[in-house]
Amino acid sequence: MSDQTPEDSTRPSTAVVLAAGEGTRLRPLTANRPKPMLPAGTRPILEHVLNALIEAGIDKFHLVVGYHANRVRSHFGSTYRGVPIEYHTQTNQLGSGHALLQARDGPSDPFLLVNGDQVIDHRIVEAVLEAHTDTPATLAVVEGPQAAEYGAVDLDDDEITALIEQPRDGAYRLFNAGVYVFSQQVFETLATLSETQGELPLTDAIGHLLSNDRTVRGVRTDHFWMDATHPWDLIDLSTELLARGWVDATPVDSNCYVDESAHIHPDASLVGPVVVDRDAVIEAGAVVGPYAAIGANVTVGAGTILKDAVVDSGTTIGPNTTAIEFVTGQDCTIGAGFTVAGGPADIVVDDQVHHDIDLGGVLADRVTVGGAATLEAGTLIGPGAVVGDGVVVRDRIDADSEVVR
Amino acid sequence: MCGIVGCVGRDDDTVDVLMGGLRSLEYRGYDSAGIAVGPSMTVMRRSGELDELQAAVDADRPTGTLGIGHTRWSTHGPPTDANAHPHTDENGRVAVVHNGIIENYGELKAELQADGVEFTSETDTEVVPHLIAAELQAGTAPETAFHDTVDRLEGSYAIAVLIDGGETIYAARQGSPLVVGVGKDSTYLASDVPAFIEHTRDVVFLEDGHRVIANKDGYTVLDETRTPVDVAVETVSYTADETGKSGYDHYMLKEIYEQPTSLRQSFSGRIDALEGTITLEEVDEIPQPDAVQFVACGTSYHAALYGAALLRERGIPAEAYLASEYALSPPPLSLGTLVVGITQSGETADTLAALRDANGRGVNTLALTNTVNSTAARECDHAVYIRAGPEIGVAATKTFSSQLVGCNLLVEELVDSSPDLRPLIESLRDLPGDVQEILDTSRAEALVEEYADSEAYFFIGRGTNVSVALEGALKCKEISYEHAEGFPAGELKHGPLALVTPETPVFAIVTGDDERARKTLGNIKEVQARGAPVIAVTDGESDAAEIADETLMIPETNERVAPILANVQLQLFSYYLADTLGRPIDKPRNLAKSVTVE
Repeated sequence: MSDQTPEDSTRPSTAVVLAAGEGTRLRPLTANRPKPMLPAGTRPILEHVLNALIEAGIDKFHLVVGYHANRVRSHFGSTYRGVPIEYHTQTNQLGSGHALLQARDGPSDPFLLVNGDQVIDHRIVEAVLEAHTDTPATLAVVEGPQAAEYGAVDLDDDEITALIEQPRDGAYRLFNAGVYVFSQQVFETLATLSETQGELPLTDAIGHLLSNDRTVRGVRTDHFWMDATHPWDLIDLSTELLARGWVDATPVDSNCYVDESAHIHPDASLVGPVVVDRDAVIEAGAVVGPYAAIGANVTVGAGTILKDAVVDSGTTIGPNTTAIEFVTGQDCTIGAGFTVAGGPADIVVDDQVHHDIDLGGVLADRVTVGGAATLEAGTLIGPGAVVGDGVVVRDRIDADSEVVR
Repeated sequence: MCGIVGCVGRDDDTVDVLMGGLRSLEYRGYDSAGIAVGPSMTVMRRSGELDELQAAVDADRPTGTLGIGHTRWSTHGPPTDANAHPHTDENGRVAVVHNGIIENYGELKAELQADGVEFTSETDTEVVPHLIAAELQAGTAPETAFHDTVDRLEGSYAIAVLIDGGETIYAARQGSPLVVGVGKDSTYLASDVPAFIEHTRDVVFLEDGHRVIANKDGYTVLDETRTPVDVAVETVSYTADETGKSGYDHYMLKEIYEQPTSLRQSFSGRIDALEGTITLEEVDEIPQPDAVQFVACGTSYHAALYGAALLRERGIPAEAYLASEYALSPPPLSLGTLVVGITQSGETADTLAALRDANGRGVNTLALTNTVNSTAARECDHAVYIRAGPEIGVAATKTFSSQLVGCNLLVEELVDSSPDLRPLIESLRDLPGDVQEILDTSRAEALVEEYADSEAYFFIGRGTNVSVALEGALKCKEISYEHAEGFPAGELKHGPLALVTPETPVFAIVTGDDERARKTLGNIKEVQARGAPVIAVTDGESDAAEIADETLMIPETNERVAPILANVQLQLFSYYLADTLGRPIDKPRNLAKSVTVE
């Protein structure tokens, strides 16, 4: 079976999208779903990825799913915006190369490969598609200070000469954006490589190609690329998307996007940029925005103030709450008069201290918070936890635990 | 249930189109299949799975420019090659596929046999090709022979006919579903739109009495007097791909997992949390009825029980009737009665018959259905859609949940005086998240490991949870083939308790903490005293979780919404039980998705 379009046989029209990984650094938000399903604005990150691919002309998706795979399957079904999706399951998450191998019977030759958990401008995809010739691989290269955290590259004209994983020094500015075109040969290459430390990263395959003097093309682009590494990055990601108007709702006012099925009380104020998704309810006197993303079926109570906030679907926020630099998972219930006043905060994740983070707090899925509770800056609350009335919480609260005054 | 497909105007892939169409009708349930292609007539048919027919087709590679096909769900005669459709006359000149029942076939068959015609099958269908052949023999033109024959048929049918050497398909609809797909240079026929949705989304929904003459130049729709009629071509919105399995092992599991989305869709735009109002836009103002009679079958009947209980709580006399009983023994009604038919497909023959009886008696009728433009929706005075999206698994899951939401919305539409609806609206809005919580945390799969080898499974509840008990048992038996029964909890001691042993787990659905919940706790102790393990499906408000041996927890919510959540736990238990036992979950034996014969 061929997925090729007949008129241009070299330009790939099939994409493999990796969406199997949890994204452990985003815990506790990933308790019930993989990182690609976390909110970017009001929609999952993966929706933005697929949107970019569709704009770039992709007409067939192969989604590699694994961690909480059913969340991806039931969200997207068999098609997304009319483009058919085939699913491939990676039972154990053994790295991006291993993930790609799960789809080896799927895509035509050559094919596009992208990460399902990083938002990309469609022009990055187009640049890679156009630059690809008959080499075994082509990848997008972007420039930025993040190079130290990702795969840095050495680029000689349009050829990659070296890959350096997480170089941890400031010498590198160019890095691999995770957007590739591969020939089918990559599957054979991956099959010959073995897992090291329980992982088979895709970059091993590229390293293998380079060490065998095969040409790996690199395409410099300066279009938008963004990854959310930690929970608080979701606020910045949402901010960037709102600023670009990359939201799926109807513009009603300057920078205000409201789905037609949402109910906004006439005495509520939306301060753009702001997006309100399907079936959401904003009660009287609420002030929402700037930079607030209100997910589907969310309720924002009367008199509540929200800014720099990402409120995921199904969450109910009681009246007279103030929430700044705030992220919630799905289906949280927050009582009246809740306060989270914003950062900065020093946050410890896996024994590493992150200084001066602009974060009020994070609630994972299905957290219940009583009336008049307060989150100190930088608090992370695990899924299903219950915070009683009037409690002041700080640091970390474990999943399903109960905190009372 | 039987499925019909047909196409004319395709160049060389007629057989592939027919086989693809039959594949997409598999969900309706079938036990044999066949095709006929022309103009040079080839007929192939096989009992069993579609793969049997596919193997025969792959071996012979028949070709043609037009053809008809059929999946058969046995009513008259067992599933054998001889009883499979298409049926032909003695010379193989006329091939016919048929869905429904020809009630006067005995009489017609006797007449044909008296003329010396030999029958080769036990089906009612076979009279049709013989009648047409006799007319052709007498020199009648094919189209006239077709009309003359259809005029003589009584009962319910959708038929499609092919005549050797001809380039025309003749079809008729009377009481069984049949739709026409309008392609660019081709025309399609099918029992249901998915059969040709790959090729066209432009559809003519035929009405009873309509006949279709289709050839490579297009199609004509005629009425019973053979007069051409104008029919609207409608464009259907869903695509073929919405019916894919999306990587799930079974449609049933996919549909269970779709419920957070399908439930939100069921109330989206219909409830206003700010105003505290519920509005069903598709119905005009319906005056508050004096009484309501629900008619439905199977799972939909369980939704009807629930709907009737809600209405009675609001002071409106309401009863749920099994549609198959209602049509034959109609209960008395006054002109102020509203008869509500609940049918997922909108094509369920028993429910249509009951609704027609009610229409005939001059009362208002309303269809609560998942299928826009279905026969029920068109024939009733009002139609309310549950908006669950296409459901392919034979065992209804997401559509039952959405039917219960639909009942809630309908009750508020019908009852004039409303209490404060905000608590209900709040609970409905919480429903998608509450269902997601169950999907994320359910212990149903673990319980299956413990109880998969039980002798029988019983389900008890009171009030609206009776619906859940009955539906839990139906789901369990239809896909696992294990013995399962549901009872109103108070009925146990009046008989069923004799069946209860340590080998028969009892699922007790206990929500809230009212009199009904407390009395059900007593019933739990009754069965525990007989050694039966009890699995409480509960929101934790009563002591059920403490008393029971196992629990399946549901989030706390409004008492009207709790049964929807409890049912999701039981869906998961039935699914994993059937999966553990290796049953063909999406196509249970002997069952059909929408039952279009009475």
